[in-house]
Amino acid sequence: MTQAGQLDPKTQFRQLYDQEFNSVYRSIRAVVLDSAAAEDLTQETFVRAYRARHRYTPTAPPGAWLRRIGVNLAISHLRRQKLARFLPARLYTAPDRRDYDRAEARDVVEKAMLALSPKLRAAIVLHYYEGLTREEIADVLGVPAGTVASRIAKAVAIMRKTIGSDQQRDAARSRSEGALRGR
Amino acid sequence: MPRVREVKVPYVEDKTTVGGPPAPSEADVSRMIRAEVETWKPRRGPEWSDLMIRIAAAGPSPWVVYTTASAALVVILVAAFLVGSWLQIGALAPQPVQVHLPK
Repeated sequence: MTQAGQLDPKTQFRQLYDQEFNSVYRSIRAVVLDSAAAEDLTQETFVRAYRARHRYTPTAPPGAWLRRIGVNLAISHLRRQKLARFLPARLYTAPDRRDYDRAEARDVVEKAMLALSPKLRAAIVLHYYEGLTREEIADVLGVPAGTVASRIAKAVAIMRKTIGSDQQRDAARSRSEGALRGR
Repeated sequence: MPRVREVKVPYVEDKTTVGGPPAPSEADVSRMIRAEVETWKPRRGPEWSDLMIRIAAAGPSPWVVYTTASAALVVILVAAFLVGSWLQIGALAPQPVQVHLPK
């Protein structure tokens, strides 16, 4: 960090870029659940951070600052996508069919995460994967710590329910398959 | 040797597996999330040169554009007012006022 708290582009910003790239990518991926979009948004996050580096004040770790930019960018991306569906068909290209096929192949955890809203997903990934405290997540997401706590609790409850019912369905299917084989 | 008394009891099926396995605990969910997120890796790692190209290609940041546009608008409005007043154009020219004084 330089004297004014700015990030020196030649050394410190590059170091930060290399260090935080994967972590920022994962936070964004948790929100958008799409690897290609997450990669693009991660680069865009660093472009925005680079341009705003003069305004960075070291009140929080730079990683939290970057994740905040990334998560907000990802949520805006989803909002734009949602709005794009209302555009005339000529202006809006629907997602590739392969996306749906990939969605089918998604495993239990990702399916359960798909049942959550982007904000809930961001909260649980930052808490359970990145190991951030509620206060740190509150700083990243720009919401009170109480809101973070309720989001985490809500997300876990939904995921438990979704995974549980998924497992029940699998168990019932294997039972019926076993019964058919027994005949 | 102790005597063992055998009694007949009605058969009760073990129903612990009926209805499928119970919902995972919070610790299980946390473990599952960690395992899932661990598999999320970008196909390309950090590419500094690509970032520099993007920065160079991107135009000025929105706040610079908005600030410049707002300042330009204020200058245009003030200049239009001054020029209009000086040239006495339209509503900026002196207006005739009809006054009816009582005799």
